[in-house]
Amino acid sequence: MADLEVLDETTEQYIVVRLGGEEFGIGIGYVDNIIRMSNITRVPTAQFYFKGVINLRGEVVPVMSIRKKMGLEDDETTDKSRIIILKLEDHELIGVIVDAVSEVVNLANSAIEATRKDSSSVEDTYISGIGKAGSRLISLFDINAIIEDKESA
Amino acid sequence: MDVSQYLEIFIDETSEHIQSLSDCIMVLEKEPDNKDTVNEIFRAAHSLKGMAGTMGFKRMQHLTHTMENVFQEVRSDNVKVNSAMIDILFKCLDAIEGYLDNVKATSNEGEDDNEALVAGLNNFLEAQEAGGEEAGAESAGAAQEAEPAGNKKYLEAGKAEAAREAIKKAMDNGMKVYGITATINKDCLLKAARAFLVFKAVEEMGDIIFYDPSSQDIEDEKFEFDFSFFLETESAELNQILEAAKGVTEIDEVVGELITEEILQEEAKQAEAEEEAEAAAEAAAKEEPKSIAAPAPVANTAPASTAASSGSSGDKSSTQPAKGKAVTARTIRVDIEKLDSLMNQVSELIIAKNGLVAAHNSSSMSQQEATEQIEYLERITTSLHESVMKVRMVPIESTVNKFPRMIRDLSRKLNKKMDLIMTGEETELDRTVVDQIGDPLQHLLRNSADHGIESAELRAQRGKPETGTIKLTAFQEGNNVIIEVEDDGGGIDTEAVKAKAIERGVITASQAENMSQKEIINLLFLPSFSMAKEITDISGRGVGLDVVKSNIEALGGDVEVKSSLGEGSKFIVRLPLTLAIIQSLMVEIRNEKYAIPLASIQTIENTPLTDIKFVESKEVINLRGTVIPIVRLDKILEVEPEQEDGESLTVVIVRKGDTMTGLVVDNLIGQQEIVIKSLGKYIKNSKLISGATILGDGEVALILDVNTLM
Repeated sequence: MADLEVLDETTEQYIVVRLGGEEFGIGIGYVDNIIRMSNITRVPTAQFYFKGVINLRGEVVPVMSIRKKMGLEDDETTDKSRIIILKLEDHELIGVIVDAVSEVVNLANSAIEATRKDSSSVEDTYISGIGKAGSRLISLFDINAIIEDKESA
Repeated sequence: MDVSQYLEIFIDETSEHIQSLSDCIMVLEKEPDNKDTVNEIFRAAHSLKGMAGTMGFKRMQHLTHTMENVFQEVRSDNVKVNSAMIDILFKCLDAIEGYLDNVKATSNEGEDDNEALVAGLNNFLEAQEAGGEEAGAESAGAAQEAEPAGNKKYLEAGKAEAAREAIKKAMDNGMKVYGITATINKDCLLKAARAFLVFKAVEEMGDIIFYDPSSQDIEDEKFEFDFSFFLETESAELNQILEAAKGVTEIDEVVGELITEEILQEEAKQAEAEEEAEAAAEAAAKEEPKSIAAPAPVANTAPASTAASSGSSGDKSSTQPAKGKAVTARTIRVDIEKLDSLMNQVSELIIAKNGLVAAHNSSSMSQQEATEQIEYLERITTSLHESVMKVRMVPIESTVNKFPRMIRDLSRKLNKKMDLIMTGEETELDRTVVDQIGDPLQHLLRNSADHGIESAELRAQRGKPETGTIKLTAFQEGNNVIIEVEDDGGGIDTEAVKAKAIERGVITASQAENMSQKEIINLLFLPSFSMAKEITDISGRGVGLDVVKSNIEALGGDVEVKSSLGEGSKFIVRLPLTLAIIQSLMVEIRNEKYAIPLASIQTIENTPLTDIKFVESKEVINLRGTVIPIVRLDKILEVEPEQEDGESLTVVIVRKGDTMTGLVVDNLIGQQEIVIKSLGKYIKNSKLISGATILGDGEVALILDVNTLM
């Protein structure tokens, strides 16, 4: 019986990224590609959290700053900075900037704790749950909430 | 019989036939005695019938068949063309189009029988018959009476090759073959059961060798009110068979005759002739479905020439419900010559590539050689681009040729006499644009017909000819195609527009004072600004010119109005020839690069700072007598401001219609051919940027939308 219980547990893979001092997880199903920082062309009068557009294998892909969207201080480009290209349901690509990519973790569904949706913190509106990998806590991004164009301050 | 693979061809050809029918009927209305037109109509109707039958669209076939009968009578001078007939014929076309739309959406023709139309058509035939002597039919068989062979539908069935073979075989064996058609009472509830009883009764005397519709369809009640079959028998007489069949309740009528060699041959000849006529009239592509359809296996007795698989296509849609919408892909017909030249250019491209590879491997490539190779490559890609664009280009004809019919209908509905004169239908545009320009143009035409052309009395008062004229003119101008919709109607009453705008609170009275005629006319393009005094069927629902404008702008074009009160108005639609690749001028603003579409650039000026004047606290320059407002791109594009140190400004003068604006840039980089890429739907900007492109060094440059800068 014990064996069966383990089998029942569906695990999902998350890419762990670093933003500020915190670790965040992005469901691997969303990730199309991870690239180094490249030249970003600014788009005038776009939403404040959009950094601009980049050339990804001949396609023009918009890049947004999660930091800006979450109300953190602006990104600081370092050697470790990466752009994670997310593939959305409608096959549109969109890039998000992270401070660093650390690893891929397997998280069982039982190891994920849902967040309280009534939370007033801006950050929490973009988090779908907290994953526990050993002693570490990884906030899992709600990709749709991040992409969604909501004029949240 | 699986005909789904021919669906696309069917849809294409059917729309073509509908169009040619519509054109011809328009001509027929004006010249009722034009025999050539009648013949052409007959051919088109006949082809439609044949195709619908092949594809198993029974209702469509029935309707076109009845139409064909009417034309047959017109052709042999038995029936005169009158306006009532024209009206009903147009309604029939609409109905066929309805079927076609259903076919497009679901690969099935739908459930509408259009009985009223069929009955209406038959009335013409009956009126003619009654004129002869016989008072036509009883209500039960009204539709069937119209068939050329009367109730002897088995004659139709006999045209099928399968049927002919079966009959021949039976005759070779010394059997007698009877063709029988039975008509069931219209109120009968269990048609299949009645048919079964008929079969049972006659099979005591012989064997049924061919069913029409197929026995499966009869069992499933997939037939109207009559069915035909061929019976082989050793000795039974016709009367015996008919009596036996009539003995079944709710069978209204049974007709039949002994099939002889002559009848059979006659049938064969007729079938052949029909097929030949079709072959002559239609393209080779069309032949394919025919020849596949004809040798349908005898085993399942699927008749090729008559309805059968409306059932089978129904089954199909139920077995593949997931497939859902849009059963056909968008296709384009390409001249084989265009494809050939495309192929040639691709071969040349490969040669050029090989040249580069070889030069690279020899490693001693001189600068000059490299330049030569690159120039060669450039030449090929440019001509390749041109060829591909040409492949995408189609004449606007396919879109505009439905308009004469529309104007005719409007003319009747509005009770105003008007003519549509179209020129330049052969002007070519990108397929995507042609597909989407239909609605805006239709709207403009309706607008002209409804608001433009005055009532007959008013026209007489103003000393204009009774019949109003609407002109649709298309032509190419540089990299643009211009489509003009012009009417000789009342023109736009700017005072009324002004009053309305003030009433609606769009502008204030004092604003109105200072507005130019043009600005006032442009108010018409604001959302929900309809000038119709009362809401009519045709226009004035408040969804109006603003939609036209936004549709056209979405295609990268713009629309402009010229109007003089009492004389008429003219809507000018300007569309870009191509969408994907454009020539542009690359400019620099600080360290950012932007592309300005070359097509909208008028001139580039080097203007001394001292030449900049202020009008209403806006910067303008006086360029050879024209006052042009200038726009500081760095401010609009939110670039870091910079101290002006130079003595002059580089101003790119862009033009949209008659309006010109000067864009101030820091530097000119040069002309470049760019591929337009979308920014995607997530990033929003105030329409300043129409897209992006990737430069040679891999960087992304944004394309300025000149229209919104004005």
